[in-house]
Amino acid sequence: MTIDFEDQDNMVKQEALTQGVPNARYIHSSRTLPGPEDVDNWIKQVIEAMTRPLTEKEKESGRWAPPQPRVLFEGTLEEAETFYQQTKDIPFPVDAPLAVYTDGFPIRVPTEKRVREMLTGTSHKPDEIITYLSDRPPSRGRERNKGNPVLFQPMNWTATVEKVAINAVMAGCKPEHLPVVLAIAQSECGTGTTNFPSQAVCLSGPIVKEIRMNTGVGHLGPGSTANGPIGRAYQLMAINLGGAVPGVNRMGCHGSPLNNGGTCYAENADGLPPGWEGLNEELGFKKDESVVMVQENIGGGVQGSQFSPGGYRAFQKSGHGGIARRFDVKGKPGPHNWLEYIVPDLWATREGGFTFIMVPEMARHLYDFGFKTKDEVYDWLYKQSFEPLKRYRNRSWPDRSNNGWMGIERTSGKYWKELSDDYMVPVINDPSDNCIIIAGGEEEACVQLGGGRGTAYSIDVWR
Amino acid sequence: MAEKDTMYKCLNPVGIQVPVDIFPLAPRLDSLDGKTICLSICGEPDITIPLEKRLKSDYPDVNWTTKKSYTPYPVQLSDEEMKTCDGLIEGVAW
Repeated sequence: MTIDFEDQDNMVKQEALTQGVPNARYIHSSRTLPGPEDVDNWIKQVIEAMTRPLTEKEKESGRWAPPQPRVLFEGTLEEAETFYQQTKDIPFPVDAPLAVYTDGFPIRVPTEKRVREMLTGTSHKPDEIITYLSDRPPSRGRERNKGNPVLFQPMNWTATVEKVAINAVMAGCKPEHLPVVLAIAQSECGTGTTNFPSQAVCLSGPIVKEIRMNTGVGHLGPGSTANGPIGRAYQLMAINLGGAVPGVNRMGCHGSPLNNGGTCYAENADGLPPGWEGLNEELGFKKDESVVMVQENIGGGVQGSQFSPGGYRAFQKSGHGGIARRFDVKGKPGPHNWLEYIVPDLWATREGGFTFIMVPEMARHLYDFGFKTKDEVYDWLYKQSFEPLKRYRNRSWPDRSNNGWMGIERTSGKYWKELSDDYMVPVINDPSDNCIIIAGGEEEACVQLGGGRGTAYSIDVWR
Repeated sequence: MAEKDTMYKCLNPVGIQVPVDIFPLAPRLDSLDGKTICLSICGEPDITIPLEKRLKSDYPDVNWTTKKSYTPYPVQLSDEEMKTCDGLIEGVAW
């Protein structure tokens, strides 16, 4: 017996099917009625659903095994382009046609020949099943042990190396991109939750120069034939290998422009200040190893730069302008810690880690100010995130993340309900929740992704 | 044959669905009176608190047991509870 919102009917039906109970009974609750009125409307239906005898259909058993041909279409390229662009009408809460195999944009048709060429980018065999390469925590009741097939989300489908290559072809990738796309596939290519989930991937290590990624001006925007197709490959894998369909099982209310075509960026390791580790080293790999960090749930979207680059320069060069006035350093040249300009308001409406994508010059200012390692910046940010419990209680997500305030507060070891209103608690769990990436052009700007450090996967194992 | 008329085999990008065994729904109860029903609830208290109150007040002849979490994930029933419960209402929200 399931109680869910009407607009999630498609999701409930699909989830029930994949769990082997396609005829599960369910009723609708309301998004807007107060709880007591809502319950009054359907409580008898709940009891009735537990006692009404099963229909013949509800007694059915068997096996669901949809056909899965390797060759999906035969015809001319023009016919194939039309075929892969086919749409399906998705009912409420979408009520519009959506692409079945693509992200809505035209794709490069995955002919057998093109896929074969793509597979030259890896030493792995086409029929190799993508498996977890290390033990990962269980998720939604699923074991994710090393050697088990990766279950792509949300449909828990599996994939071979060839399936990943097919999607890489469709995305416009080159064979040298395939190890990156295979590493991304390790992540299950999730699409997050119901509000504003965005996904991005960030590369670090020698691969960045090998495939000539754009880490400079416009690196998050269009133009690169590496950044763009690799980011797109994530989204195509989510659609095709994960079976994600908006309004059916991909319920991000607004979608996200970061997912519209995909987002892939990379670290400019040459821009790191002396002593600052690259992302690969931060994530437990060696400096000469290539990795991709997958950020599956950037719930806070992108926060743009908060100050004018000219104002920033005046602040650092000579202590002039609005930022200098705020810091009371008028007339005093830098280096100043410019992060103070955006902290603590950074967490005004959202808890958790952020990813700071800053240009090399601004990272160098932090170094010159006194942060000789990234960890020192992370520790400083963590300390800035503390606020009185009275204020922390007035946030939304902690009701849930702290299990209704029933458990123990981490930093004190005491029950939440024993703590005084002025007890200071952090709004991020750990200093390493935040992440710093050096990239971008010369203009003094930093953007924050509203989501912290992702999970890293080795690219080199897929070469 | 002109290039535009060349026929191509185009491959399937869709993930592999492992066959799913389909199960019949669990047999229904004739009546809930005198039965032990576990109410395993998680998620939005605006719904789950009044639901729990109404079930207990409107159906006093049912032996209600409750498992509760404010997270999105229901508290799993123990093996013993699965043996002793006649039915389960599992509310999942968030």
